[in-house]
Amino acid sequence: MPFVGEILKHRSVSIVGLAKNAGKTECLNYIIKRLPLDYFSVAVTSIGIDGETTDQVTGTAKPEITVREGMFFATSEKHFRQKRPLSELYDVGDEDTALGRIVTAKALQEGKVLLSGPSSAVALKRWMRSLKDFGIDLILVDGALSRLSTASPAVSEAMVLSTGAAYSANIRELVGKTAFVVELIRLPLYVGAEPSVRVSSFSSLDAATLKGRRVVEVEGALTDRLLQLAKNALDEDGLELVVGDFTKVFCSQELYRAFVRRGGRISVRMKSELLAVCVNPKAPNGIVLDSDLLCRELSEKIGLPVYDIVKNDYEI
Amino acid sequence: MKFREIVDSPCGIRYLFDGLELQSGYARKVLLDREMMTDAAQIDAAYARLRKYFDLVLADRRRVEDMRFRLQGLRDISGTLASLADGATLDEIEFFEIKHMAMLAESLDMGEDMDAVIAILDPDGLKIGTFYLYDSYSVELRRLRDAVEQDPDDSQLQEDLANEEDRLKKAISDKLRPYAASLRKTLRDMAELDISLAMAVQMQVEGLTIPSSGAETVITGMFHPGVRAALKAKGRDFQRVDFSFRRGVPATVIGANMGGKTVALKTLCMIQYLWQFGFGLPVDSAVMTPFDDIRFCIGDEQDEKTGLSSFAAEMQRIDQAIAVVETGIRVLLLVDEPARTTNPVEGTALVAALLERFSGKPELALVMTTHYTVEHAGVCWRVRGLVPGTKGRTMDYRLVQTTSHEVPHEALNIARELGIDARWIDLADTIMKQQYE
Repeated sequence: MPFVGEILKHRSVSIVGLAKNAGKTECLNYIIKRLPLDYFSVAVTSIGIDGETTDQVTGTAKPEITVREGMFFATSEKHFRQKRPLSELYDVGDEDTALGRIVTAKALQEGKVLLSGPSSAVALKRWMRSLKDFGIDLILVDGALSRLSTASPAVSEAMVLSTGAAYSANIRELVGKTAFVVELIRLPLYVGAEPSVRVSSFSSLDAATLKGRRVVEVEGALTDRLLQLAKNALDEDGLELVVGDFTKVFCSQELYRAFVRRGGRISVRMKSELLAVCVNPKAPNGIVLDSDLLCRELSEKIGLPVYDIVKNDYEI
Repeated sequence: MKFREIVDSPCGIRYLFDGLELQSGYARKVLLDREMMTDAAQIDAAYARLRKYFDLVLADRRRVEDMRFRLQGLRDISGTLASLADGATLDEIEFFEIKHMAMLAESLDMGEDMDAVIAILDPDGLKIGTFYLYDSYSVELRRLRDAVEQDPDDSQLQEDLANEEDRLKKAISDKLRPYAASLRKTLRDMAELDISLAMAVQMQVEGLTIPSSGAETVITGMFHPGVRAALKAKGRDFQRVDFSFRRGVPATVIGANMGGKTVALKTLCMIQYLWQFGFGLPVDSAVMTPFDDIRFCIGDEQDEKTGLSSFAAEMQRIDQAIAVVETGIRVLLLVDEPARTTNPVEGTALVAALLERFSGKPELALVMTTHYTVEHAGVCWRVRGLVPGTKGRTMDYRLVQTTSHEVPHEALNIARELGIDARWIDLADTIMKQQYE
């Protein structure tokens, strides 16, 4: 039973796809199928519009989420009315979204649902807090299209990453791009005295502000522009940039590498745990990559098991 | 006039609205949609209720907090209840909303018929706030559900199940329908409870009081909560001020720059609104009288945004007020330094003429601040001003009635205390003395 045991050690886990059709939904269904629900209470939702029967972007068929008897789920009023197994309503939220309010219910039998949960990380966090009266042990969050913010440790404790041919159709490139995201997820926690300088990517900055500094706190996003300035300000004593968490890093791999090569460091205030990486070797345009080769290469590169859960229907 | 329309009035009433700790978004909506009360008896009755909750806040804060905690679960289901009243068949989400609301009302000991409503939506007597179409609603429902579970691909069974569910939804809706009016009233009452408790707690936090009503307005110890908070942040106190006015007798307020005339006018305006919307008042005590319309004419930043010159905006605002006064309804008109942006010759004429224009209006209560010396038949108030012997450093903001309508000449002294260029101010002093001679 790959990685499901790891998931049970956390109170909240987000499943995040690096691209549409990267196999995230299969990954979520795989996890749900294997959860020991007889002694474990689980709630599932997604951020924003997800769980559509056909992918809104590419039009390819997309599996729905299957909830099991006894599981809690949250979705919009519209999707709750459209499709669900027999379910007991526990809450109807106060906030209105484009698809209506968020409905929280417990499935009384197994069945398929269309998940469209809270539309922002803040609303998601609020929903997660509202579950406290229902005795939930684990919350699973289906992160939407390239919304890594769901995976922020400020929202969920741990994450499962799904990647695949939809992200890049070239194995080497796919491995390289995925490994970079994994590297960011694993950025070390900052240890040391409170940095005396705080900067923001969107304030007016010049290299002089950073020159001669050892540690600089970055408020909000770390962009290429700021990282470029930091790189230019680097001297032999090095420079450490402290960001909130890995979801705040928005810079290119090339620049990041150049910064690190010259002795720069990036650390985070909060860290989320990466539990597993799942791959989908099929892309919506028909390209199919060699699954075994992809799993092996990526696993070697990131030092973590990588699973193709569609091809290998791993036993429980 | 709705509260929504005046919440951003330049008098600064938003400070107290923002400070109101409402537990539900629905109560906030109800308060914003509340109509201004204009009948003294109605206002007195509202305050009698508020006093009851204020006493409860003082006597049993735990119970109040328990009620407020429950009210966090209050949702606006007025749309659902309107559908119910209109004869619609509701669905599970709407049944859930009604059950949730009825159980909330019951836990707060509110509403009639809530037992009956809960009994319809809780056929198994589980006393929990969740809902689905329970098997116990019909033997047929149970039979079909079992059959579908055995044979999930039988589309005929699925259709039969859907039909039975629809039949039950209609039956449950019909059973609930007689309680639609009672549910709507209870929903509204819970929002009012949320508002009253928030107002009562705010009275304690801000030190607000409950006034009485009478034929004329007599206020002692008024303060502006927003300005007081700003001063407190700078380590300073707000000096409380007394004031009174009545319909048919115009009042002017004169006094030094920085003497608090505008703040006094804002406070009067805010207090009048607060009273007619049923809030606790920022006063030591007050006798209040109701108005049908309250007009506050003060220049604000909005004028610049709309491209009007401050003079044009001010003239238009007063012009509108004149039209309202002419209708003969009871109007409280508060005007801050009219014609202050024009030359003193025409300015003085405009102010004197305005007082004349408003004379003989028995339903109008006019309070106007001004820097111009204008004689009139009404009451003139003066800011006490700089305290002698404090080298002009201390201002006494209290207002006193005066027989002389001559405005005090303290601007130069204040400018000196502010450390403004001495040569400029000395020169002004000389020029002024020459003019007077």
